[in-house]
Amino acid sequence: MDLAVKDIRRHVGKFVATIAGVSMLLAIVLVMNGIYRGNIADGVWLIENTGTDLWIVERGRGGPFNESSRLPASAWQSVAATPGVARASPLVLYTAQRALGQGAEQQFTVVGYDVFGGLGGPGRVAQGRSLRAAHYEMVADRKLGLSLGERVALSGHTYTVVGMTAGAVDASGNPIVYLSLPDAQSVQFEQDNRAIMAARAATLQRLEAAGYGVEQAQRLLPLVGSSPPQVNAVLVRLQPGADGKAVAQHIRDWLHFNVYTTAEERTLMLEGRLKRISGVLGLFRTLLVVVAIVIIALIVYVLTIEKIKSIATLKLIGAPNHVIVRLIMEQSMALTLASFVGAWLLRELIAPGFPRTLVFAANETAVTFGVMLVGGVLASGMAVWHALRTPPQLALGG
Amino acid sequence: MDSAVVNEAPVLEVQDVSQTFGHGELAVQALKPTSLSVAPGELVALLGPSGSGKSTLLLAISLIQPPTTGRIRIGGQLLYDGGPTGIDVRAFRRQRIGFIFQQHNLIPFLTALENVALILDLNGVPGREANRRAMALLDYLEIAHRAKSLPAQLSGGEQQRVAIARALANQPPLILADEPTAALDTERGAKVMALLRKIARERRSAVITVTHDHRMIEGFDTVHHLEDGRLVETQRHVVPA
Repeated sequence: MDLAVKDIRRHVGKFVATIAGVSMLLAIVLVMNGIYRGNIADGVWLIENTGTDLWIVERGRGGPFNESSRLPASAWQSVAATPGVARASPLVLYTAQRALGQGAEQQFTVVGYDVFGGLGGPGRVAQGRSLRAAHYEMVADRKLGLSLGERVALSGHTYTVVGMTAGAVDASGNPIVYLSLPDAQSVQFEQDNRAIMAARAATLQRLEAAGYGVEQAQRLLPLVGSSPPQVNAVLVRLQPGADGKAVAQHIRDWLHFNVYTTAEERTLMLEGRLKRISGVLGLFRTLLVVVAIVIIALIVYVLTIEKIKSIATLKLIGAPNHVIVRLIMEQSMALTLASFVGAWLLRELIAPGFPRTLVFAANETAVTFGVMLVGGVLASGMAVWHALRTPPQLALGG
Repeated sequence: MDSAVVNEAPVLEVQDVSQTFGHGELAVQALKPTSLSVAPGELVALLGPSGSGKSTLLLAISLIQPPTTGRIRIGGQLLYDGGPTGIDVRAFRRQRIGFIFQQHNLIPFLTALENVALILDLNGVPGREANRRAMALLDYLEIAHRAKSLPAQLSGGEQQRVAIARALANQPPLILADEPTAALDTERGAKVMALLRKIARERRSAVITVTHDHRMIEGFDTVHHLEDGRLVETQRHVVPA
C-alpha cells in the first residue's frame, strides 16, 4: 500500500496549492538561470557575430566594448597594409537613446560600418536585406518595434528600414541599429546649427586674439574649426594561414594600437563588464536554489508533523521504518518533481514576454533539477529524523 | 470463568515485571514487580486510577517501553528476560499483537477498508487478498457499509469498530486495548465491550484492556486492580459466553 499516494489523493487540494507555490519559486530559479545565461549571450553577441579575427583599438584601451576607444578614421588603411591582413575596415559603435518611429524613447546601440564590403555588418538579416547605399538606410533589430520599409527620422535625416535582424543586441541587451559608417558618424557627432555657429564664432575670436586679421581668420576657419572624423575600432580579417599572434604583434609594434583576438575580446567582456553582474546573478541563483530547498524541506517537515500521530500509530502497530521513510520521501520527491514540472511550464509561459534575453541550457536545467531533487531529499532528512525518533507511545492516550 | 479459558496454555506470561524511570535519587518505580498470566480467549481488565501503573504495564507487555526487570512471554515466545532476547519486537507486534486505542487512531487519509488492510499489507498479504480479508472483518464487525468512508466521516462508535477490525486483521493471539471505551458514551461503550467479549470468545484472542471505567468491569473474565504501581487485587468473574 502506497501511503504517500493515498495521503496525496486525500489532500489533493492542499498538495496542488503547495505545488503551485513552490512552482512559482522554482520558476524564478529557472528564469534566473535564463537571465544569467542570457546576460552572457547578450554580452558576447556582438563580439561573436561580427565575423572578425582581430579587434584594433586605441592604445592602452580595452575597447571598444569595455572602454571607449578612438582611432583616426584612416587607421584602417594602415592596418590593411599589415602583412597577413586580408581585409580591414573601420567600425563605429555607440549607445543612443532616441525615439525611433512612432514609439517612445528607447536605448539602442548604433553600429556603423563600411557597407561596401567592410566587416562588422549584420551577419544574418531575418527580413529584408543588408545595407547597400552609402546613406539613409538602416537595418534594425525587431526588438525596436520598427517594420520593414518604415521611414525613421534620426538626427535630422530620414532613414529607411531595409532589413530586420532577430536577436542582434549589445552587451546590455539593447537592440542594435546598423547604419553606414558616415551616417553613424553623422548621428554620433551631429550638432545643431546654433552650437555650430557658436563654435565657429569662438574659433574666430581665438584666431583674432592670436593676431590673425578678420580675413585670415575666416580663411583658416575650415581648417581648425572641426575635428576630423574618428572611428572606435578597426576590424581585421586575416589571410588564410596567417599567424594571428604575429599580425597582432606587428600592429602593436608598428602602428601602436591595442589588438585583441575575438577570443580575447570575449574574455575581456566576461572578465570585465559582465563579471560583476554575472557574479550577482549567480549568487542570486544560488540563494534562490537554497531558499527553494529550505522551503521544500519545511513543507515536507510540516507535512510530516501533521502526520506525526499517524506515524506513531504505524510504529506502534509494527510498521517497519522503511514504510515511514518511504511515506516521507515519496511525498518530498513528488512535491519536488511536480513543482519542477510546474516551474518549467511557468518558465515557458514567462519567457516569450520577458524583457531581457533568456537563454535556457538543457544541461543547466537538468543540473538545477538534480540539485533540487537531491537537496529536497537531503533536507527531508530532518522530517525523517523526527519521524523515526517519534515514540510509538505517542499514539496512546488522548 | 469460561472453562475453555483456564485449561489452555497461557497466551501471556508476565513474571516480576517492574518499571523504573530515572536514576539514583530521582528514580521513580512506576510499576512494582508484577506477575500475571492470561489464557487464550480471556478478557482481562487492568483497572486503577491515574498513575496506578496500568498503562505502564500495557506498554511493558507490548515492549513499546521495555520493563526494567522481569520476564515476558507471549504465545510461548520469550520476548524479554531482564533484557531483549534478540527477537524483532516491532515485527512481533505487527504479526502477533492487535492494538485498540482510546482515540481509535485510524490513519486519517485511509478509508476504513484501507485502515484494516494496512496491517495485512505490512504483513506481506497481497493487495486483493488483504482487501478481501479486511472486508470480511468489517462485515464481522457490522461496519462493511462504511468501508469506503474516511475516519472523519465516521462516528466515534464506527471508528472504534474499524479500529477493532484493524486489531483483528493479523489474527493476533493477544489484543491490547488502551481505554477503548473512554471516548464513547455508555451505550456505545457497552457495545464495544460486548464486541470485545465476542471476539475473545469466538476468535480465541486474549484481550487485555486498560480501563478506569468501573461500569464495565462486570463484563471481564479477570480484573486486575492496580494502585500505586502495585497489583493489589485480582477478581475473577464467570461471564456467560
